[in-house]
Parts: sequence; C-alpha cells; structure tokens
Amino acid sequence: MTSPGWRIAKLVAVLAIIVWSLGPILIGVSTSLSTQREVNAIPTRWVPHHPTLQAYHDLLGGTSNQRAGGTVTEAGTFTRSIYNSAILSAVSTSFILIFATMAAYAVGRLRFKLGGAVLALLVGTMIVPIFVVVVSLFKVLAEPPVGPSLIDTKGGLVLVFIATLTPLATWLLYTQVREMPTEPEEAALIDGCSRWKAFVRIVVPQMSSGIAAVAAIMMLSVWGEFLIPLLLTQTMNAKPVTVQITEYVGKYTTNYPILAAAGVLALIPPALLALALNKRITGMLAGSS
Amino acid sequence: MPKPWNRRGGNRAARETQILGWLFVIPSLIAVAALVLYPMAHGWWQSMNSGGFLFGEKPGYVGLRNYRDVINDPVSREAMAHTLWYVLLAVSLELVLGILVAVTLHRVFRGRGFVLAVLILPWALPSVVSGVLWKRVFDPDNGLLNSLLMQLHVINQPHVWLAAGRGPIVYITLVHVWGVLPLVSLIFLAGLQSIPDEVYSASAVDGAGPWRQFRHITLPLLRPSMAIALTVGTLLAISIFDEIYVLNGTALNTRSILIQVYNTTFAQADFAHGTALAFLLAAITAVLGALYAIALRRSTV
Repeated sequence: MTSPGWRIAKLVAVLAIIVWSLGPILIGVSTSLSTQREVNAIPTRWVPHHPTLQAYHDLLGGTSNQRAGGTVTEAGTFTRSIYNSAILSAVSTSFILIFATMAAYAVGRLRFKLGGAVLALLVGTMIVPIFVVVVSLFKVLAEPPVGPSLIDTKGGLVLVFIATLTPLATWLLYTQVREMPTEPEEAALIDGCSRWKAFVRIVVPQMSSGIAAVAAIMMLSVWGEFLIPLLLTQTMNAKPVTVQITEYVGKYTTNYPILAAAGVLALIPPALLALALNKRITGMLAGSS
Repeated sequence: MPKPWNRRGGNRAARETQILGWLFVIPSLIAVAALVLYPMAHGWWQSMNSGGFLFGEKPGYVGLRNYRDVINDPVSREAMAHTLWYVLLAVSLELVLGILVAVTLHRVFRGRGFVLAVLILPWALPSVVSGVLWKRVFDPDNGLLNSLLMQLHVINQPHVWLAAGRGPIVYITLVHVWGVLPLVSLIFLAGLQSIPDEVYSASAVDGAGPWRQFRHITLPLLRPSMAIALTVGTLLAISIFDEIYVLNGTALNTRSILIQVYNTTFAQADFAHGTALAFLLAAITAVLGALYAIALRRSTV
C-alpha cells in the first residue's frame, strides 16, 4: 500500500475531495465579489480583477432596478429573512430537543406499557415522506380548530418543524440511550432519588454529547428547509432565507453577484456550526446509520 | 384488591415509571398526530375526492379516479421518467464516489481531520444554497463550465446542452450529489471501520495485493453499508425538489414528480390530483424501501 504510485494516487484523491467540496463555495465567494460586468467578461474571470463589496451593498441596502440588472432588492428584506431563519432554527430546535430527549429516555429506559408501540409509531412517522403531508398542512394550518390562521406565521412553521423533525431526533437519541451505562441512574434511584430527578440530574448530563450533536443536526435541518416554508409563508413576517434567496433568481437573466452574495451570507451560519461540531456530527451520522 | 404499595415501595416506583413514561412521550405524540398523521389522513381523503367547483364538477367521492388520471397524464408520466433518471444517476454516482472517498479517508494520515471537516460542508448547506452556488457554473450562455470548455478548445461556442434535452437533468443531479455525497461517504467510512484489520493482514500473508483485497474483502464486507447508502440515496433523490426549483424552476424538461405535485397543487390549485400524485410517489417510495430492507437483511445474514 505504500508504493509511490499508491501514495500519489491517494494524494490526488485527497486533493480532489477538497476541491470538490470547497470549489463551489469559493466560486460563490469570488462571484459575490465581482460586478455584473466582470461576470459577463470574455474570457471568463474566475477571480474578479477588481474585487468589490458592491453586491453585498446592493443586497443589504437595496438597489435601483437598473444597476442590479434585472434583480430587485429592498433594504432590510434579506436581513429580515436571515433573522426569521435564525428564530425558526433556535425555537424549533429547543422544543425538538426537549420533546425528543424525554421521548428517547421514556422509550429507551422506562419500562412502560405500550412503550414499544410508541417507538414504532415515531419511527414509522420518520418514514412518512414529508410531501404527502405538506399539501394538506396548508389547509390544516389555514383553518386550525382554535385560533386564527397559522399560515405565514413563525409559530405555525415552528409547530410543523417540531412535528416533522422530532421523530428523527428521538430515534438518534434513542440509539444513544440504549448504549449508555445504566449504573449511574440505578445508583441514584437506590439512594432514594425520584425518577424525574434522576432523569434531570443524571441521565440528561450523560446524554449531553448526543444532545449537542442532535441540536446541530436539527438546526442545520431547519435552516435548510425549503419546500415547507415555500408553501406556508407569503410575506417577510415568516419567510426564511432559503425562500427569499430564490427570489433573486431572475426568470431570464440573473444578477449573479447579488445572488452569490445572498448564498454566501446564508451559508455562513450552517458552515460555522458544521465546522465547530464536525466531529460530533460525523460521529452521530455514521454511528446511527 | 389494591396492593399495599407502601410495603416495599416497588409498586409505587413502578406506577411512577408508567406515569412518567406517558408524560414524556405525550408532547411528541400530540405534535406528530396533529401535524403529520392528521394531514396525511386529510390528504388521503382529498386524493379520493373530485377537485370540486374549480373544474365545474360536483365535489364528491371518486375512488381511485384521480390516481388513474395522473397515471394517464403525459406530463406526470414525463415527470416520473425524469425522477427515475434522477434516482438512477444520483444513486450510482453516490455509491461509486462514496466508496472512493471512504477508502481514501479510511486510514489515518496527516490532515485527515481537516479533510473530514471540509467533506461534510456541502451536506450542512441548504440545498437551495447549493443550487445558488452551482448556478453560475452551468449557466447556458456564459457559465463557467462553457467558458472552461471553450478555453480548452473542447467546444467552439457555448453549448446548448446545458439548457435543453437531458443535459439539465445531469447537472441538477450533480448538484444534488454534491450535497448528499458527504452523508454516503460517512456511511461507507463507518462500514470500513467495522472491518477488522486482521482480515487484511491475513490476506496480505497469503500474497493478496491492494486491488485483490479491495475486490475480495472490502467490497463484499461493505454490502450492508451499500444497502443503507442505496436506501438513503434513493429516498433523497426520489423526492428531489430544491435543486431543480433553483436551477431550472418548474420547466418541463427537468420536472420531477415532486415539482409536478407542487405545480398541480399550487399553480393549478388542483389539490385532488396533487395529493393523488404525492401518495403515488409515497407508494413507490414505500415499495422501494421494503425491497431495500429485504436486501439489507440478506446482506447481513
């Protein structure tokens, strides 16, 4: 395995992985620093000759139709969509973690009646393709049994994300609960601790690394959701960045610098999260498959 | 007769466990019932009823008629054929490339942690953003790919295959694979890690070279991972939507089943046929999932 031929092949393969993974991101950064004229230049400029932050300026500060070449941006709209995405990710993830941690512990540890059936139901829901739900969700949210319509509200979206992602989070945490040693909790119970106290004081800290990984996976999932908010939002009241970004794609011509600037800003939070927690995320994804 | 729970305390603990168990799963169950199971039932009912006033017909139960309609609809059929292409292309690319990536990154080397961190980035990004990042590469007029090919004198003028025919399906699949490959690679990496080193050293003693080891040890022992990767890859590709929407909108030449569901339901406001097509896709998915589960069981036994 260590002959020079193999080592060169391996080096080439490693470089190819890096270029393949980072290439499109770097192209996006480069495009976002270009002007429309440089993007259209022949021969193509992979790197702008005169880097400029104009696209970011146009995206965030709004621009006249002419200068942006077909793409209209309004001051504050993009920042608002980033804000919506951040709120949606944070709030949904918090609820999902609370629900899923409790459910995973209950079906994994507590020997309660029908626990197996509950687990089967949750895992079964995980397999339900979201698109058979999404069409009817519109009608369900538009006419809830109590209260006003939940269409185009962050609250409505949070409810949908909780319902659709809690089963996956429960499953990921369940696999972890099954592998954890039971002795610490048993010792606490023998010492007269109630089950609830043992859960909060012993089991949750034991699960903390798994919870962190699931938190990251859930935040990335909510941040990346597209079809659900595309159907359930209409205005900037709830529209997340994934939906807003598609509005910068022109029907006939696209202002690539502005589009790329939006893409770069939308990828910074998930990229940072993935880099910061990459060992935990890869461990959880590889371990539970 | 109630048992004296205070004698040993055991019954009380058992009852506490029962109550706590249900309290802990009730929030999840309510959420899932209200916003997954109920809409699903609602959609199923809708798919069996006529579209109603919009089409000048009486609303009412029509059985499987909507399903027959979408199966006979040429546009839906086209969308099914496209979806088949997306799945076949995406899954075969993911399996081949995923194994190559996993084999490359399996053994420890300097900088491996960095490469692993970089590897998962495409998976972490929203697929809409992937589409945005790749869009300029495949622009049919002045995209980076066309320019590169022209500079290399492979072609003389911008190639139209990026805009017409099967070309767009191929490059949309490529963008999709960019986002899914990290996950598939991790599945294979976990599979490789579970193969004990002794198997390799024993075969090396028998004089097997790297290629024969790969062919006769790695590939057969990776079969469970292949079944999982096949399942994950198929489920993600069969419901492809985001990348198509960003790169080519609802254009006919790249329309997948899910894009067709979206178009039928929201552009044409035809909920009945939209949900019928969605449930048809779900049925296909379920059948494929069951087949893969059987394959997985065979490969692990």
